[in-house]
Amino acid sequence: MESSALSGGDSPDIDDEWDAGQMGCGELVMLLAGRMKALKAGQVLKLVALDTGALEDIPAWCRMTGHTLVSSGHPHYFIQRRQDKNGR
Amino acid sequence: MGDKFCVSLTCAKNDADKATVAFVVANAAVASDKETMVFLSTEGVHLATKGYATGIHEEGFSPLQELMDSFVKAGGKIFVCSPCYKKRGYTEEQVISGGTIVGGAKLVEFLTSDGGSPCITY
Repeated sequence: MESSALSGGDSPDIDDEWDAGQMGCGELVMLLAGRMKALKAGQVLKLVALDTGALEDIPAWCRMTGHTLVSSGHPHYFIQRRQDKNGR
Repeated sequence: MGDKFCVSLTCAKNDADKATVAFVVANAAVASDKETMVFLSTEGVHLATKGYATGIHEEGFSPLQELMDSFVKAGGKIFVCSPCYKKRGYTEEQVISGGTIVGGAKLVEFLTSDGGSPCITY
C-alpha cells in the first residue's frame, strides 16, 4: 500500500466526503467527476474507494483532469478541486 | 515516432493463438526500446493469474509463459482490468509479477499522455 499522510493523523480539512465502496474503473471516475464538479475550486473531497484499481486510477485521473491529489493511503484519497478554465 | 506502445489482449486459453501472438508483438515493441504495456481485459485477465499460462504452447512460437516472463524482465508492463479480474473471482494476491490491477483511467492516461500511444488489439 502507498505510504500515507494520514497515518500521522494530520488529515487535510475536507469539504465533502464520498464512500464509493467497491465501485471501480469507468463508473468510479464518472461519478467522481460529478462529485468534484459540485465543489468550488480549492475545496477538498475525501474519497473512500476500496477497488484495487483505484491505487493506479485515482492518481492517473487527477494527473489527467488537473485536480490535485493532496494525499492518499489506499483506500483513502484526498482530492482538491482544480480552478475552472474561466478562473472560477 | 512515439516512444510508447500498447497491446490490448482480450483472450487467453479460449484463443491461445492470439494470446501468444499478442505477447510476441509486445516483446518486439519492448525490444525496440518502446515503453510497452499489455492491457489485459475480459477473458484476457486469466493470463494475469499465477500459473495460468503454464502449458500454453502454440506451434511455431515459444511457450506463452516464457514470452510473458521475458516481456516483464525486459521492463514491459501488464495492466489488468480490475472489474474483469474481480468478475472472474480472482483476487489481487493471485496477480503475476509485473502485473498491475488498473481501471480505465490508467489505461486512458497511458494511451493519451506524452504524445499518445498506438494500440494493437488481439
